[in-house]
Amino acid sequence: MTTLGPQNGTLTVRTGKGGAAAKAGHNLVIEVQRWQGSLTADAVELTADARSLRVVSGSGGISPLGEEERNGIAQTIDEEVLRGGSIAYRSSRVSAREGGYDVEGELDLLGVTRPLSFALSVDGDHLTGTAAVKQTDWRIKPYSALFGTLKVADVVEVSIDATLPRSA
Amino acid sequence: MVALDHSFSTGKPADYNLEAILDLDRIIPCVEGGKVLERESPDVAKAEIKVKMGAMSMTFKGTVEVASKDEAERTAVLRVKSKDTGGSGYANADVAFALDDGGGTIHTEAKITGKAASMGEGVVATVLDALIKDFTTKLAAI
Repeated sequence: MTTLGPQNGTLTVRTGKGGAAAKAGHNLVIEVQRWQGSLTADAVELTADARSLRVVSGSGGISPLGEEERNGIAQTIDEEVLRGGSIAYRSSRVSAREGGYDVEGELDLLGVTRPLSFALSVDGDHLTGTAAVKQTDWRIKPYSALFGTLKVADVVEVSIDATLPRSA
Repeated sequence: MVALDHSFSTGKPADYNLEAILDLDRIIPCVEGGKVLERESPDVAKAEIKVKMGAMSMTFKGTVEVASKDEAERTAVLRVKSKDTGGSGYANADVAFALDDGGGTIHTEAKITGKAASMGEGVVATVLDALIKDFTTKLAAI
């Protein structure tokens, strides 16, 4: 079994923006700082600490995103969106294919469990994969501001990028 | 220049509605993020509005003045002159109220420059429209 975590990889969430005032908002790159995953030939599991998100960068917007704003967004995610809820993925089926795996399973996000499938690519010791998570499927109302004219896009991208131990 | 029209209901008599609109200490906090900083006279207040855009915000500081009032016709114009504290832009507006029994109408003419205006006039109009709609819901309880 291969164990994954911040020691050998990054788990990144990318958000987009929508609404009439989308220009005022930023596309965010958010890093999950505490997470743990395991990978075998027939199972993928991953858990993440909802209180460990850090905003790495933001693009777009009508003014640059400073450290104070990045911290403010992380605090908003913590207090108004994730609220320290559960984040756990467990595969039900892993199919090997050339260059990687197709993974099917279920994501428990804040207590709501829904199916989620994604592809993992393996190139030598380099593992990458991206899953699209539609927030409303997990009964999360995408965060909005400016009287609802600025919204976080419903679909967020969650990516893993890890270096596999040589013995794997 | 952005021009917008709205109506609102209070369920109160016209005289009450006019009195409420002219009371700057009551009316300014009805704007989301708005607060009175200092009263200069019964008809003039120094005020600020903090417009939150998620974790980011823009603060406009300036004056709100009763530019005109007609107690017989039950109309009033509030003039807002403000500057963006974090930039060189400004947000000025004339907000004309026509009061009636049960509520009234609002005609807003606003000019906004700087960072906020960089979103484009259509976006500014949409956000301002949403802000005034929110204001009208608060007027219902004034």
